[in-house]
Amino acid sequence: MRKTITLEVNGASETAEVEVGTTLLRLLRDGLDLTGTKEGCNEGECGSCMVLLDGRPVNACLVLAVEADGARVTTVEGLSRDGLLHPLQRAFLAHAAVQCGFCTPGMIVSAVALLRDDPDPSEDAVRRALSGNLCRCTGYRQIVDAVRAAAAALRAGEGAPEPPRRAETRPTALPVREEVPA
Amino acid sequence: MSAPRAVGREVERVDGVEKVTGAARYTADLKFPRLLHVAVVRSPHPHARVLGVRTERAARAAGVRAVASGRDFPLHTGIYLKDQTVFATDRVRFVGDPVAAVAAETPEEAAAGAALVEVDYEPLRPIFDVEEGIADGAPLVHPDLGRYEVVPWIQPKAGTNVCNHLKIRKGDYEGALRRSSRVFENVFRVPQVQHVPLEPHVSVARVDLAGKVEVHTSAQSPFTVRHLLCACFGLSHGDVRVHVPYVGGGFGGKAGINLEPIAVALAKRCPGRWVRVMVDRHEEFFATVVRQGLTATLVTGVDRHGKVQAQKMHYLWNCGAYGGYGVNIVRAAGYTCGGAYEFPNVWGDSIGVYTNRPVGSAYRGFGMQEIHWALEQQMDFVACELGIDPVEFRLLNALGAGKATVTGQVLDEDAGRVDLCIRKVAAEVGMDPARQRRPYSGKGIACAVKAPAMPNDAASSVVMKFAEDATLEVLISGIDYGQGLMTVAAQFAAEALDVPVETVRVRGCPDTDLSPYDWQTVASRQTWATGNAILRAAEEIRRQLLATAAEALGVPPGELALARGTVAHAASGRSIPLARLVMGYQFPDGHAIGGPVSASASYLPEGLLFLDPETSQSAKPVAKWTFGAQAVEVSVDRETGQVTVEKVSACYDVGHVINPGLIRGQTYGGIVQGLGTGTMEELIVDTTTGRAVNASLMDYKIPSFEDVPAVLTAEFVETPQRDGPMGARGIGEHTMIPTPAAIANALFDACGVRIHDLPITAEKVWRALREKERGERERAGAAGVPAAAPAASGAIA
Amino acid sequence: MPSDLDYRSPSTVDHALALMSEAPGGAFLLGGTDLLPQMRTGRRAPSVLVDLKRIAELREIRETADGGLSIGAAVPLADVETHPLVRARYALLAECVSTVGAWPLRQRATLAGNICNASPAADTAVALLAFDAVVGAVSSEGRRTLPMSRFFTGPGRTALRPGELVTDVVLPATSRGFAGSYLRLSRRKGMDLATVGVLVGRSDGELPPRYRIALAAVAPTPIRAVAAEELLEARGPKAAAEAAELAMDACAPITDLRGSAEYRREMVGVLVRRGVAMLERKARP
Ligand SMILES: Cc1cc2nc3c(=O)[nH]c(=O)nc-3n(C[C@H](O)[C@H](O)[C@H](O)COP(=O)(O)OP(=O)(O)OC[C@H]3O[C@@H](n4cnc5c(N)ncnc54)[C@H](O)[C@@H]3O)c2cc1C
Ligand code: FES
Ligand code: FES
Repeated sequence: MRKTITLEVNGASETAEVEVGTTLLRLLRDGLDLTGTKEGCNEGECGSCMVLLDGRPVNACLVLAVEADGARVTTVEGLSRDGLLHPLQRAFLAHAAVQCGFCTPGMIVSAVALLRDDPDPSEDAVRRALSGNLCRCTGYRQIVDAVRAAAAALRAGEGAPEPPRRAETRPTALPVREEVPA
Repeated sequence: MSAPRAVGREVERVDGVEKVTGAARYTADLKFPRLLHVAVVRSPHPHARVLGVRTERAARAAGVRAVASGRDFPLHTGIYLKDQTVFATDRVRFVGDPVAAVAAETPEEAAAGAALVEVDYEPLRPIFDVEEGIADGAPLVHPDLGRYEVVPWIQPKAGTNVCNHLKIRKGDYEGALRRSSRVFENVFRVPQVQHVPLEPHVSVARVDLAGKVEVHTSAQSPFTVRHLLCACFGLSHGDVRVHVPYVGGGFGGKAGINLEPIAVALAKRCPGRWVRVMVDRHEEFFATVVRQGLTATLVTGVDRHGKVQAQKMHYLWNCGAYGGYGVNIVRAAGYTCGGAYEFPNVWGDSIGVYTNRPVGSAYRGFGMQEIHWALEQQMDFVACELGIDPVEFRLLNALGAGKATVTGQVLDEDAGRVDLCIRKVAAEVGMDPARQRRPYSGKGIACAVKAPAMPNDAASSVVMKFAEDATLEVLISGIDYGQGLMTVAAQFAAEALDVPVETVRVRGCPDTDLSPYDWQTVASRQTWATGNAILRAAEEIRRQLLATAAEALGVPPGELALARGTVAHAASGRSIPLARLVMGYQFPDGHAIGGPVSASASYLPEGLLFLDPETSQSAKPVAKWTFGAQAVEVSVDRETGQVTVEKVSACYDVGHVINPGLIRGQTYGGIVQGLGTGTMEELIVDTTTGRAVNASLMDYKIPSFEDVPAVLTAEFVETPQRDGPMGARGIGEHTMIPTPAAIANALFDACGVRIHDLPITAEKVWRALREKERGERERAGAAGVPAAAPAASGAIA
Repeated sequence: MPSDLDYRSPSTVDHALALMSEAPGGAFLLGGTDLLPQMRTGRRAPSVLVDLKRIAELREIRETADGGLSIGAAVPLADVETHPLVRARYALLAECVSTVGAWPLRQRATLAGNICNASPAADTAVALLAFDAVVGAVSSEGRRTLPMSRFFTGPGRTALRPGELVTDVVLPATSRGFAGSYLRLSRRKGMDLATVGVLVGRSDGELPPRYRIALAAVAPTPIRAVAAEELLEARGPKAAAEAAELAMDACAPITDLRGSAEYRREMVGVLVRRGVAMLERKARP
């Protein structure tokens, strides 16, 4: 059976017609082309589908789209604004906490929720809060470091999103002294 | 020469921004117009004859656009041994073996269509264990084994279930065994496990109306996908185009072909339509590939000084239903059977056995974790029995420059220093034999060695070119599925041409129509092979830039150098920015010289020699070895058997650390993956039905955040590899190899029990402890004295 | 999932009941963390999902007139475990709740869902059993209460009638302030179902104290080990070893992927002894 729903996704209002059985994950990925949210298991075990639903971190594979009618959804795509990175995104890069990257969006979304509840999490608190997010590549060590570093940055008021570093350094800005023969 | 700027520095991942923002597209993220969805009809039997497949009803079902099944695609394929067809034709060999597939407008319609495919089976007796598989009169998984095409260095035995057998015969094993002062024998086992990449396998294909095949797939080796697809379908390489976007982990499980042939078979049936085959997490566990099982029997004879003189290794590999990469694992395990040690007299047999289990294939380490599980425990066992400190015992027997491997290869000075790795990790966890001991807390060590297992002519190539603003583009076809290849490629290129790494763009999602050839991203070979190719291409780029600049500046090219994004003439202080050179240089009068600067280069390992077919002796069977060691500290809960890994310290001789952040990530990631296979992972197949019974993440656990040891350390020795790019050698797989054995050795140190069969679960430890305590009570009772407090003593074989 | 599946989200309990009586093949939906995976694997195939999360009355945690605490069926576990009154008065419940899945899962999963699913390994059930919680239920035949001790009738089975709706779970005032711990073994440390779960609790400030021992994953349903409790009440912590034996006798585990029956039984003994010892340690800081 199809239903029409309206929800706010990353600040924009979206209306969609969905089958009742369609998960929020499918709607985001297939319907709204927000493919940053990944499907790793479809059974609530891996966390790669993590989004914020009315501010709470939830496994989008365990939420039906119809349940999200009227809700506010934030996906990884909603964290960076105008090409500026969220401090957690920055920290994941700086701490080499990304490998294949498949778990990364879900990790970062979970971490956003954690840091809102606990601005200064201990190492154990990070591990507990993120234990629903699996990563097969990193061994988690650098992710813990990244989350705690981002927490420190946010506490220090460095919460303003930053531009991705690569975009800053354009090839045209090379430090050269040009001297051409006459 | 200017100081290094890119190599050796913790450069951020060049694909990082895409990955943290969600911009990075993986295969399942790609959008295709009017995409068709696929349901695969899979065998419910572990072993059966296929009497008939009827697809007519399925073909007529609502929404169904194509149905494909066995006999339409009779050609065999396989990377080394061509033993597999797209769909089972006359027989199915494991539960999950594809028999047919249906493409439809929606996933639901595909599933409904698949349910209408009728297959008649005549069940045959299945075999699940290797011992059963090699027994006389065992049912044959591949009765046609003798007729399959195979590369010359794999030796299947027609009329048996043996898909490869490699023999190592070095020195005089029998004589050395007779002369040994003590002899030890043990059996160790490793179950099948799955890779569990976070991104399940997925492939999309279209055959256009002109007959050209296009594939987008989550794979480790686009060119091998193309090559094997051509073999499956009798196509010309010129008519198949393979794209690999970002890949969400592979660990060997996405090497070669997996779902691609099914996608292409269906696409051929509905030209012009895109067809996507995607497994869910459940199917991922048993219907893609798994790691092979192993039963290893080791015999060690030592002389009075504790030097191993005679070593026998008998490996039986549970290859599952098809040979895939497995046959080459059998080979690699054979020529590496001595591990990191020098054994003068060796008798080794590495035998691959077909069974009716899921298909065994490459998995990070390519057989090495499995054989090290056996060998490194055996070394510990022998050391303890002899009363020698396990660290000293290893140092006494370790390989090194001037010593000979089991194939008789005498290692060069640049071979890498396992002795230093052993000493460093032993010191890091405090393995001093005089250390203070706490009950149920122990320390253990294990070494690791691995060489790239690949054909001798496995090559890599790259293309380097510039954009107008002097952005340097590096085209590679090695796959960065997390290990950081794109980033190290950028570092090598930036370093070699002295340009800021930020100005390099690595085109790392290859398209076989446009990208340079690369054999495969496996075998920890990519940084090394791609790196070498980049350095060669950079040399040519440099030559072109200098030639044009020399003409522009009117000086000899020999007086010029690349310096920080310019070509500089030190003597006069003049320089030209690359942006004015890369598309050609224009003089003030308007005439121009040079032209778009670009280069391509390749790398092929040099001087590799085949193994002797009878003895496997060879002076240079592999390109390079990477050595390392890990030491761990565990605590054991005596009553529950739970083992907590408190600390793991790793050290590898990597030749040259190209990127400290990435290499730490490889190390931590490998350790934790090793902790998974060490303590919790096993794909359990029900031996009555042949079904994998724990094929979900609910039932098959991999390590989570909370399972990671509190302390992980990573150190590196840098003995430059002569033919490595800037001295580097491979490391990606090695980090996972020694962890389970090191944990087992620490467990023994902690409480005197030895677990021979992976994984080391709490229940197994609990049983072993109970057994040991019972034994101690009985002995104490017999001696009429009270039971001793539990302490490290005695092994349970 | 079938394409004729319907979804309704009533705002009152009466409407929910009415919807369910119209569609007997329907299922109530709370967090969906049990139901949706079961539908995906084909174990359940309801015709309509009646979502209870928009019913305000079910979303409350409130004190009852007699000083107990009522936890509405639709309150997410995350809100239960962080609720000040739960933490202050029923800390052991908060501890059990915090072992269910991971933090994001508990943003959706509920107490009512956990017990209605009636898994032998239901982690919150041990605390509810120990605290003599009472389940509030309503159907077309009216409201009633079911004591936890009679709620489970088998694996996946409860004493609820078809179409009956759990409104809340009430923790009685008499169960406030139990001290103790929930000891749980699982194959890995992070997010995993229990192989064995043992709650050992003791009432605070009463003489003689009441003991509670409740077990998960070692019988067809979560259970209390009443004989073990009585022994401890009669003879105190020095009888821990015998109490452990009684608890082992009370359980009837099976062998599955997570552990053998033998191991589970033995672990019940180990964990009961530890739980009692921990009570002593907690009591004498
Ligand atoms: C990844 C993962 C990990 C998990 N880990 C654990 C764990 O560690 N421990 C554990 O105990 N559980 C675990 N679970 C199971 C599950 O999360 C819990 O049982 C949860 O509490 C169920 O609550 P729910 O609100 O999601 O229930 P739902 O799935 O919404 O409902 C469960 C059942 O109750 C019925 N129902 C719902 N509401 C009512 C009502 N008001 N009246 C009558 N019947 C109703 C539904 O029809 C359904 O049959 C896990 C699940 C997942 C996916
Ligand atoms: S896809 Fe949702 S938890 Fe794995
Ligand atoms: S980076 Fe690959 S799964 Fe986490």
